[in-house]
Amino acid sequence: MDTVIVSNVSKKFKIPHEKKTTLLQNIVGIVKRQFAYEEFWALREVGFSVKNGESLGIIGRNGSGKSTLLKILAGVLYPDSGSITVNGKIACFLELGVGFQYELTAKENVYIYGSILGMSNKEVSRKYNEIFDFAELKKFESMKLKNFSSGMYVRLAFATAVHANPNIMLIDEVFAVGDEPFQKKCAEKMLEFRKQGKTIVFVSHALNAVQSLCPRCLLLNNGRVASMGDTEKVINDYHAMLSDGAHA
Amino acid sequence: MWTHRELIKNLVVADFKLKYQNTSLGFFWSLLSPFLLTITLYFVFRNVFHGEQYYALSILVGILAWKFFNVGTMACLYSLVGKANLITKVNIPRKIIVLSAALSNLVTAVLEFIVLLPIIWWFTGHLPATIPLFIVVHFLLLLFIYGIGLIFGALFVYFRDLSSIWEVMLQILIFSSPIFYPLSVISERIKPYYMLNPLTRFIIIYKDIMINGKLPSVSDFLIVIGFVAAALLVGNYFFNRLQRRFAEVM
Repeated sequence: MDTVIVSNVSKKFKIPHEKKTTLLQNIVGIVKRQFAYEEFWALREVGFSVKNGESLGIIGRNGSGKSTLLKILAGVLYPDSGSITVNGKIACFLELGVGFQYELTAKENVYIYGSILGMSNKEVSRKYNEIFDFAELKKFESMKLKNFSSGMYVRLAFATAVHANPNIMLIDEVFAVGDEPFQKKCAEKMLEFRKQGKTIVFVSHALNAVQSLCPRCLLLNNGRVASMGDTEKVINDYHAMLSDGAHA
Repeated sequence: MWTHRELIKNLVVADFKLKYQNTSLGFFWSLLSPFLLTITLYFVFRNVFHGEQYYALSILVGILAWKFFNVGTMACLYSLVGKANLITKVNIPRKIIVLSAALSNLVTAVLEFIVLLPIIWWFTGHLPATIPLFIVVHFLLLLFIYGIGLIFGALFVYFRDLSSIWEVMLQILIFSSPIFYPLSVISERIKPYYMLNPLTRFIIIYKDIMINGKLPSVSDFLIVIGFVAAALLVGNYFFNRLQRRFAEVM
């Protein structure tokens, strides 16, 4: 069964020559007839599907549309045409620790972040010790977040995120943070998710991470699907594309 | 919305904690400005309206109702831009952000009206039986604030000078609502226009049930419900249309 179906999705951004952020600027713009803007197609007729329990990698150069695609899957951006079907509880990790408040304690933040990720308070209470053990922050649970180091911050966010237990995970490069042992822990957790049969869509520049996690891969170039299939083949296509680009 | 009630609750509680934790007097700070405003208005205007019964109390009720609306709509207006991360990085129903801003302001407003009760008793010697109705009126005003907040919150994402414009409007509202003067000073000629201000009816109802022990007339009540329904309908319509491009312009 397909868990994520993307068909014919296009997304256009309008980039005005002069960005207008106030009513006054807009009125002035109408009077002076300054409404020129550039059109930028971030995605064009992108289509693919992800089966239940499958891990799909998305690679491509900077500005190829990877993040836009992920944001559309997450429901943060709306496509201009085409459609997206998602069957299951989806969690997107475009950034870790969304909604964290520096002035509140670690404990309070875990409840807030947990509920943003779709956990009930009861569920957080049940997994509370697990989360803090995983983050190795049990001693600091009633410390305010503003006193946390950035490493502690990320560990707390990650520990909460991995306990949210969604069926479908959308992951931008957020997990490429922290020191080496922590990164290793993240990688192990991701493999564990795969074994548990979770559907993963993974966007990354780290090709070896993609290779170890995703059997199938999608290459984006200028908003179009340039190649799709076996990760090894797609990565070869990517390298070929890069070297072509270098010659041109 | 109902499925996200725990998220809403957590956001409201966090908001409330953040607002008051760094002030040792906490919530009582929020009472300071309405009391000072009431005292000022009372001493300035008491000779003009000396026939008014419980004049100071009447100003205070009016000011607190106006403050509920003022602070509530402002909080809703800033809510989306202030929590940009919840819009650009995760997918939660975005109306939740506006609603939780309105709700955290409701908590303050309810506490303020509870503080008002002993003051009413002290001035008038008794508490009118109609007082519990303020819960109903508060609920209606909350929905009204939420509706207006949906419109302004969404528009503020696109037009960042809206906050200054709305602030001026709120100042005008103090003078165009019967807060520190009785309705009878408004001439019959302009009264029909004057009554178009939704806040006017809310304030009249508050003063009637809190001080005079008078039930609002059915027609007044229905008109207020009409205002609330209109605000919610227009608010939802605007919000649903504008929210599609939120993440692009944030």
